[in-house]
Amino acid sequence: VNQLHIAIESTTLTNGLKVVVAPDSSAPVVTLGVYYKIGFRLEPRGRSGFAHLFEHMMFQGSANAPKMQHIKLINSSGGLLNGSTHYDVTNYYESVPSNALERVLWLEADRMRALKVDDENLRNQRDVVKEEVRVNVMNQPYGGFPWLDLPPIAFRNWANAHNFYGDFADLDAADLGDVQSFFKTYYVPNNAVLLLLGDVKAEEGVALATKYFSDIPAGPIPPFADPAESPQTEERRGEVEEKFGTLPALAIGYTAPQRRTADWYAMALLDQALHGGRAGRIYRDLVLEKQIAVEASGGIDDLFGYNGPTQMVTRILHKPEYSSEKTLAVFDAVMHEAQDSGVSEDELTQLKVKWRSDYFSTLEGGHGGMPHYGLMHLLACFTLFDNEPQLVNTILDGFLAVKRDEIQGVAKKYLRPQNRAIVFRKPLAAKKEAA
Amino acid sequence: MATRAAQIVSEVPALTAERPVTWPKRTKTRLANGLEVILAESHAIPKFNGQLCFRSGNAAVVNRAPDLAEMTATVVRTGTAKRASRQIEEDLRRLGADLSSSAGADTSAVSFAGLSELAEPLLGLVNELAREASFPEPEFERERRQKLEEVKLERTQPGFLASERLRKILFGAHPYAQVSPSEEQVAAYKRDDLAQVYREFYTPENALLVLVGDFDSATMLKTIDKVFGHWTGAQPAAASPAAPAQPRGRRVYLVHVPGAVQTQILAGCHAITRKNPDWIRLGLTNSLYGGAFNSRLVMNIREEKGYTYSPRSSLTPLRQHGYFSISAAVRNEVVAASLTEIFYELDKLRALPVPEPELADARNYLSGIFSMGLATQHGLLSQLITVALNELPDNYLETYREKVRALTPADLQATARKYFDSANMQIVVVGDRTQIEEQARLFGDTQIFDAHGNLLM
Repeated sequence: VNQLHIAIESTTLTNGLKVVVAPDSSAPVVTLGVYYKIGFRLEPRGRSGFAHLFEHMMFQGSANAPKMQHIKLINSSGGLLNGSTHYDVTNYYESVPSNALERVLWLEADRMRALKVDDENLRNQRDVVKEEVRVNVMNQPYGGFPWLDLPPIAFRNWANAHNFYGDFADLDAADLGDVQSFFKTYYVPNNAVLLLLGDVKAEEGVALATKYFSDIPAGPIPPFADPAESPQTEERRGEVEEKFGTLPALAIGYTAPQRRTADWYAMALLDQALHGGRAGRIYRDLVLEKQIAVEASGGIDDLFGYNGPTQMVTRILHKPEYSSEKTLAVFDAVMHEAQDSGVSEDELTQLKVKWRSDYFSTLEGGHGGMPHYGLMHLLACFTLFDNEPQLVNTILDGFLAVKRDEIQGVAKKYLRPQNRAIVFRKPLAAKKEAA
Repeated sequence: MATRAAQIVSEVPALTAERPVTWPKRTKTRLANGLEVILAESHAIPKFNGQLCFRSGNAAVVNRAPDLAEMTATVVRTGTAKRASRQIEEDLRRLGADLSSSAGADTSAVSFAGLSELAEPLLGLVNELAREASFPEPEFERERRQKLEEVKLERTQPGFLASERLRKILFGAHPYAQVSPSEEQVAAYKRDDLAQVYREFYTPENALLVLVGDFDSATMLKTIDKVFGHWTGAQPAAASPAAPAQPRGRRVYLVHVPGAVQTQILAGCHAITRKNPDWIRLGLTNSLYGGAFNSRLVMNIREEKGYTYSPRSSLTPLRQHGYFSISAAVRNEVVAASLTEIFYELDKLRALPVPEPELADARNYLSGIFSMGLATQHGLLSQLITVALNELPDNYLETYREKVRALTPADLQATARKYFDSANMQIVVVGDRTQIEEQARLFGDTQIFDAHGNLLM
């Protein structure tokens, strides 16, 4: 079996900032990421959408780099930049020709040290975020389906159940005081990891990280609300109106095992058996063979990137001539088959080859033209959640060791109605015709 | 008592000396049967990425039906003389591979990625799809019904409605005007029509095989010859439809979507192909206008005014013609204000030379991201395909950056004047007419359509 070993160097600065360097000199390009261990799951109550709005504010100016400077300095160095808000982390990242590395370190350190934004910046980005929500959710067929639809049905803890993009009233209520207080609480060096990947030597990376970041004072360890869910005892269902699309849709989410438990490894391979493209059982059965659905896809989102409750979600758009209940019954038959018969030895062999191949692609994978994004993301999550960046070289073994009975075991344990939530997305147009 | 002042570096660090880019070595050859092969090694992961690309796409057969080449490519993967659909999908998984087949206006392609250790069987499957696809009737019928649902669904997507309308306006009677079939046209697809397209397009003389990844080129070449060497078939006849004229006068096309809570703006005019000697200078002009985060348009309507989340301008180079377009999804109240800024920034680039420092930033940006795009197997693959399909010079990758860096403010102004044809820009707005019609009409004679393309007024 072909292995892949990623050389990495990691350390912690005196202020608690973790630093991970993964040198690769094949191209004169370096990707730099700063991950803060705070996402939209644990944003303040009454401020839904705030973690994401705040991410936008991080591009609006810091002590020595006023608004526009940050973006201009990266682009004009020949680089790309972006940021994104996830459940449990928020990231900021740049890919630049390696001769711009110090410049980017300086910029990231400047905004970790002091955010300098005003009311005008906040108004501006609030408007931008509202258009983001409109273009991705409110003005799109099946917008937000099911990533925004399922959590309020599936979960009872506000942390897991609220609207992560934000209610507009909550976005409007956010003020500069909220911005600075969120920054002070969560954007401290001892709640972050700095990652350097690509054309930088290990010792050079650590030295530069020290030079630019070590004088940023540590803060108190941030308080984290408990995202745990109380045990679920019944199937949960809900409905959402579909304003533009004409096909009925449903999504089924099963709460997944906790990361890095034995069940979690097995569940990941079961997920591959169920959702792995056109060979996956759900697509094969609902779309290719029974031809009830037009689309049937899903899985555990960002497997390594969650540090709290998450689900394996299947998203189905089906033909209007089949009822939702009929569609669900066919889906359930696929679940029952996995529980009754598990997977064959041959199927398991296929799943593991594909898993290994996909993992290599994740490590190499770029994102929006930025090399090493996948490796950066995994190293960041393994550092912040597990304090073990070397997992990137060993975690594959856990998936390749999964046995047939373990897969059948998690199918029985997790693919139960009492462990799932279902959202039905009902087209308005169809309702009007029926009325 | 000595205190040590914090050593805060408050000046922007200068760029250090540039490290040279090692341009990937390519092996180019042509098999005896006419198949053109390009290989490049990239050893970061034990995998490879590839594409078998045919130089014929939807435009070549649009007179038979729109999207017929796409439909053909879709059904190609569903069965061969040796393997049924389910077998193909399981074999792909057994090889740790991903595969997709699709067609654009000018090309049809089978794209794939897999483990290096299993390269030969994956290439064998690709070869089988290219030569022995059997178009099973039930698979065809299922994909046709799927397509029917897809064409209904795309009529509810503002982005699709905007680009469909703009292509119709810009290309008129030319095949490039047709981006999607109607439901009736999908209902009329025939299995035999697909098989005919397959026989015509999927030949070695019409094909290009590009592989990038962890392999030894000499060994891989032998494998390719063994797998693909016995394939035969000639170049299909190519038609040259008459060139479409750039529509004269600024006009507005409103696609009415009742209840839309935002307006999708898409404005465009004719531009050029990649073969045109102005390509690189137009690329830089576009980048400075609206092609980068730090561009004038993004800074204006996003970072200053907050009208939109994702404004951008882009160049779409097709084989025979190309076009320039500007898109922004804006809130309904600021449609006129956004269009005003879009045209202001266009006209400013035509009227005033770009200040040298701003141009230097844009040159750096474009040359930097160009070499970054080559740092992954997939990124390098797509660049090699672009160079080959457009018959660009062999040293295109190596010389691109110096060409960008040689451009002057005068070059950019001349390019903007030549191609940013603001007086003849065609404007599409997709939204609720009750909210935006009055604003849209300020920018030219206005026609209003519904989502199905029916003229309302």
